[in-house]
Amino acid sequence: MASPNLLAPPSSITPATALALSQKAPPILSTHPTSTLPWPLSLLFTSESPETWTIHENLFYASLRTGDDKSARLILDRLSSRFSPANERILTLRGIYEEALAKTPAELEKVFANYENVLRDEPTNFSIRKRRIAVLKSLGRREEAVTALTVLLENSPTDAEAWAELGDLYAQGGCWAQAVFCLEEVLLITPNAWGAHAQIATLHYLTTPSTVSTLALALRHFARSVELNESYLRGWYGLKLVSKKLIPMLAEVGRGGNKRGNREDEDEDAPPPKLETVKKLEELATGKLAEIVRMYGAGKKGWTGFDEAEVIAARELLDRDGKIER
Amino acid sequence: MTLLSTTLNAVGLIFLTHAVYSTHEHTTTFPSAPLPLDITVELLFSTLVLSAGIVFASPSLKPIQWSRWAGKIEREGRQSEGTWTREGEEVLDEGDPYAFLGLDGGIGGKGEGRRGFWDVRGKRQEYAEWVKSGGKN
Repeated sequence: MASPNLLAPPSSITPATALALSQKAPPILSTHPTSTLPWPLSLLFTSESPETWTIHENLFYASLRTGDDKSARLILDRLSSRFSPANERILTLRGIYEEALAKTPAELEKVFANYENVLRDEPTNFSIRKRRIAVLKSLGRREEAVTALTVLLENSPTDAEAWAELGDLYAQGGCWAQAVFCLEEVLLITPNAWGAHAQIATLHYLTTPSTVSTLALALRHFARSVELNESYLRGWYGLKLVSKKLIPMLAEVGRGGNKRGNREDEDEDAPPPKLETVKKLEELATGKLAEIVRMYGAGKKGWTGFDEAEVIAARELLDRDGKIER
Repeated sequence: MTLLSTTLNAVGLIFLTHAVYSTHEHTTTFPSAPLPLDITVELLFSTLVLSAGIVFASPSLKPIQWSRWAGKIEREGRQSEGTWTREGEEVLDEGDPYAFLGLDGGIGGKGEGRRGFWDVRGKRQEYAEWVKSGGKN
């Protein structure tokens, strides 16, 4: 993986990466991006670009994370003098700063009350509403966070991020059906999101009790995720895992299924997949996983974008499988 | 590839300029005579060379099938585009457009998606614990 980048931070930041990111603060803070010349000249001789502010924002997050509050304060002042302190995003960043510096739950409650004040004046400020929910979560009041999120979603039902968050909150509480519903809403907004398909499949896979129909749904969604992304490691991994679990169950149904008449409770909307199809899918997934593991292991050019932990997990899955067969 | 395209563009431009200048000279000297063949050929040749240079200079094409394109992003990760911002940050090409949903970490994942709900206190605590444990993963 390339060196830590403030313009495009990686999708998951370990503490070590966060440290590397926040160590970029001094050189960036030593130069001033905005011009001090009077108005028409300042437009001509400025060195700022849209990227400048993306970098500042990401640096702000990184410094808060590593406890470099002084740099964070400097960046915040810079941003508010550039975009006015009343700007919606600046208000949110200020809120994050205050949250980070709150030492006791009482201080955090004060930040929370502050958010309520902002919302009383301007109820349409969605970023502050999201911060409010984040504080509730941070205070460990998950039920309230869920309620606040449902209210937010009633007002703005096309917010995929909020649906995903609500789905995650439900899943953490083990409410699989509700979580699946939320992720289905995410899919309505972003139907091509392979990650959302894999997540919904994971939820179906984890649903208890796991029956043929829940596993079949998981299989379908994993299959869709790899249909949308031909090298999606998580999708292929899930496909293999689910099909391995499904094959003995389907074989069982195939043997005893004809005798039983009451099968309508199992297949609600679609019939379970055929045994041969699932077997073929399993073979396909094994082949793809093996290819990814091999290519990544060899360090082939164009195959280095995978997460190392995920590749190791895939290799372990293949090894486990190999021992049973051989 | 860049050397080839730059050479082609330079050669094409020189020939094009020369052809245009010759046409101008010719029409001002002999207003009624038709354009000689060598000027026409030079003009066509320079246009061809210039077009080839422009095509070679263009960045490589993206896959047009969704799954191929997504697979490429997944396999290669984010690559450098060869430019840097003023702050010294490398400009990278496109990444997963759905990373903002934050679903890649699984349930309760620790990814950086869903910025609107960024858990600053949780992340700070995680970092503090990492420092306390001596900076090991």
